[in-house]
Formats: sequence, C-alpha cells, structure tokens
Amino acid sequence: MVKLITHNLLCCHARGCNYPENFPLVFRDVTQLEVREADFNAEFLQKMMPRLEWTALVNTAKQLGDTSLPEEMPQGDAVDEGILKKLHHVLMEIHIEEGAMHCPKCDHKYPILQGIPNMLLAEHEIGR
Amino acid sequence: MAPYLLRFAQCHSEFRLPELNSVAKLYGFRITLPEPEEDRDPTRAFMIVDLDSEEHARLLARRCILIKTVSELWASATSYDELHACMKANPERWAAYNLTKHKYIVGATGHTMPDARILETIESFDYMDLKGEINLKKPDEVFVCMEEYAEKPPGVMLKAFDDENFIRVYFGRQLEHGTARSLIVEFDIKKRKYFGNTTMDAEISLLMANQALAEPGTFIYDPFAGTGSMLYTSAYFGAQVFGSDIDGRQLRGKDKVPGILRSAAQYGVMNRITDCIVFDVTCNPWRCGELFDAIITDPPYGVRAGAKRLGRKEGLPMREEAKMMEDGTPSHESPDYRPPKRPYELAELVLDLVIMSRYMLRPGGRLVFFLPTITDDYQEVDVPQIEGMEVIANSLQTFGHGVWGRRLITMEKTTSEKFPMPTFGRHVSDEPMPDGQHTPGHQGFREKYFAGFRRNGTPQE
Repeated sequence: MVKLITHNLLCCHARGCNYPENFPLVFRDVTQLEVREADFNAEFLQKMMPRLEWTALVNTAKQLGDTSLPEEMPQGDAVDEGILKKLHHVLMEIHIEEGAMHCPKCDHKYPILQGIPNMLLAEHEIGR
Repeated sequence: MAPYLLRFAQCHSEFRLPELNSVAKLYGFRITLPEPEEDRDPTRAFMIVDLDSEEHARLLARRCILIKTVSELWASATSYDELHACMKANPERWAAYNLTKHKYIVGATGHTMPDARILETIESFDYMDLKGEINLKKPDEVFVCMEEYAEKPPGVMLKAFDDENFIRVYFGRQLEHGTARSLIVEFDIKKRKYFGNTTMDAEISLLMANQALAEPGTFIYDPFAGTGSMLYTSAYFGAQVFGSDIDGRQLRGKDKVPGILRSAAQYGVMNRITDCIVFDVTCNPWRCGELFDAIITDPPYGVRAGAKRLGRKEGLPMREEAKMMEDGTPSHESPDYRPPKRPYELAELVLDLVIMSRYMLRPGGRLVFFLPTITDDYQEVDVPQIEGMEVIANSLQTFGHGVWGRRLITMEKTTSEKFPMPTFGRHVSDEPMPDGQHTPGHQGFREKYFAGFRRNGTPQE
C-alpha cells in the first residue's frame, strides 16, 4: 500500500512544519514497489480531482517511473475516460510497500513497513 | 404508492427505522411509514410501509441487515373474517397468479401455530382457486400468511389458549428474503482471518456501513480503525476505505502480511483498502479537509482498551529536543521507538471526533460512531452539539441488564462552510468544554464501568 492518492493527501505534521513547505513528502529508499489492479470508478476520481495537488502528483509519479500524466491538471472536456484511466492507475494502483517518506522541510522520516507507514511523531515534534 | 410488508429480525429494534431511511436515501427512493404510532413501533416484528415500486421493496431486502423478508401486502386485519373480506375485495390480485407454480407459508411470530390450524388456514384461502401446481421446493411465487402475537415476557410458557389471540394477521406475496442478512454469517468474526479482542461484531459493522451510505464511488474513513471491522463492510458495499490508528500493532497483527489485508483479501475487498496508516488522530498529517463521504468508527471507549493520544501525562513536561543515543543517532529514528502516550478522555475524544468530522467530511457527508452511555446518566445533550453537524439517528443497544449501553449516532454535515482543522486542545491550555455548564454522562465512563456504575453516588477512583 501507500498509494499516491494517500501520498497526495498527507503532509508532515511535526511541530513547526506548515503547509506548503511540508508538502509533498519525498519517497526515499523505496525497495519494494508493486502495481496491483484496482476497481476503476470514474465518479470517485472526479470527486477526488479538486482535492489533489496536481503538480506534486505528477512529479511524484515521475520519480517512481510513471510519466503518463500531463503537467497541467486537465479541466472540463479534457477530463475524458482516457485521462481518468491514467489517473486511476497512478493514484490507486501503484503501491509503495517498503521505503520511507521524508518531510521536505524538517526531513522527518516516516518509515513504511509492510505497506503501512508509521506517522506517529516523536515526543519533541508533537505540537504544544 | 403501494403497501409492502416488512418482517424484521427480532433484534436491534432501535436500529430498524434509521436503517430503512438510510437505504431509501442511498438508492434515492421514497419510503412512507405508517401514520399511527403503534404501527410504526419498531419493536414489532412487522411493519407496513408504502413504496413507489416493487423494485424498491426488493432493494430494501437486499441491503437492510435487519429485514428478514419483504412481501407485497394484499391484506392485513385483526381477524380472519376481516382478512378474507379484505382479500375478496381485490380478486384481481390473485387472478394474475392463477396458473403459477406456488406454495404457501403460514406461520406466526412470537407463537407456534398448531399443525392442524396451519392446514386449516391454507384451506381457508381456497376461494382464490389457484390452479397452478403446488411446488414446495421450487415455487415461482410464495404466498405468506403470518400472524403477529404480542411479545411475551421472557420465561413465560406459551399456552395453547393463546392460539389465535394475535394482534394482526397479514397476507401477501413474498418478494424476497433479506439477502443482506446472510452477510452476518459471511462476516462472522469467528471465521475471520484477523481480529482482536475489541473487534466490532459483524451485524453492527454491517449496520454501520448502511448508516454511512457506503456504495461505489464513496470514500470512507475510520480514524480508530483497530482491526478494521467497519472497513471490510464498507468496502464490501463498494466504498474506497481508509483506516488510521495510533496502534500499529492493531493494524498489522503479527504475520508478515498485515492482518487487515488478510481479512480484506478473505472478503475480496483488498483493492478497496486505500491505505492504513499509523498516526494519532489528534496529531494527524491530513493536508486538507472535505475528503470523505463518511467517517465510520467505534472509538476505543476504554472498557477493554482505553483510548490514548500522544503526549505525557498531566503536568509532565515534554521533551523539547530529540534525545540522542550513545551512538549519536536520535532515539526516535530507532525502529523500537515508541512515543509517550497519555489517556484520551472519552468526553474529550467524542467532541474532537465530531469537530474533526465536520472538517474532514464533504458537505452532506455522514459521521457514524458509537457513544458508550450509562443509562441513568445519559441525556440528549451528551451527543456533542456542534454547528453544522446534525444528529439524524441515535439508536441504543443496551448491555448489563440495561445499566449501560452504547448509542449508534449518525450525524450529517449540513453545512458547506469551511471550518478549520480542530486544535485537539493544543495551544489553549486548560480550555474548558465549550459548553462549560454541562458534563456529559459518558465522562469518566471507564472509571464508572469498573466501579460498577453505582447509582446515586460518585464512582470510586
């Protein structure tokens, strides 16, 4: 797990880290990446699109070797089934199983074990 | 609109009407409940509802966990004379089934009919003069005649003279068995690959997924996911689901493949588990709000597992800098590092949950959660009252001879105003409850539970 949809919706929440400097988290030491088919649901993707940070998504996908998405978020009629299928693949089917996500600002490391990231903060990082 | 007869399973009566309304909303059809109060009494085994089409009745049977059967109602009465008169007024009802392969089911709820009277009852409908073959194994139509008896107090023996002393008798054409009900067996915890000691039972998990309006295209979140019960049922109905928990051991279990994924695979919903992440919901990494169609959760209310949040116990100072190990690495980067946790008071948790849901839900989204309550202490105002979050159902399930229970609360986000992420009590120290006057009845629930819920007295610490 750790799909790109999840990655796109999370940011570093350590004390002193604020949006947008704490986003997107950077994948490092990815030793296991899997592609698993998921149910395509156009309605779900369309509802999700306004919530996405498109540039972060495109760049992260590229970093993981997927260049299928256009640089600019498609709007209106450009959101056709072809685009949604590509988006579906990038958001829902690429899984990072082992590795870590790092905060671009404070470099906090969120390790991913068995596909489940540990995003608990350390004591000194908890907001007061 | 036409009348349909619903027969309910004899349990969770307070959950029936909310479930009917939720399923009708989910599929976008109208359901009209009977006018008289006693006919909409949710503790009775039968209810007559008006629906626009047979298809809607079938949808109820396929989705409502608490429905046993759904029939097209032909007649209902308080005596057989009245019932037959009512039947004979509409002979065209059965004319259409003159040559149909059929069978009769005659029975009673809360009572056992003597065999002789079953036969006698079937024969009393001879005037329909159905010419079709009677086929007990594979009938094309099933005609049901059901007598409803008043519920007897537990322990009272049924007596023969009670026979025929029914409240009402119903006749109809049975449309469907409640197929959703059989999911309770499919999701039985005993057969589940992975579960824990606080895992929510199958029936309630399914009911909660219905209250959350889980369907394909929806995104549903459990912030206290634990071993994932509500994730599986929501995903089963087609939702994409997301879980988080402060305790990674709950999500993962002990095997190489995380426990939640093993159970999800068993139910064929693995690809609808969006992700499961270990974090404390009061200290969460969400980048933005308005993400979810529903939040569905059973917060740890502290009987078997007390709720925890990150931090140190009252008064103890928090470390300001990372602790360095002897080898020069920070201690929190060690795989064995466990941040300090402190108890999370139930009343505080419930209030935070509602405020957080208002932030995380889309307008119109639903929050479905359990609130443990002590029956004597509970008051309506104990459910947090927050602008933009409206209670649409509140169903009690009691335990311990009614001394305590839990309420399944369904709230709807009725605002499209933007609200900030709640602060979870940070930055503002010693902030009183927003409603400074009222202390909810569930405050200190765990302490009161272990003190045996002493009535009229302060529970012991």
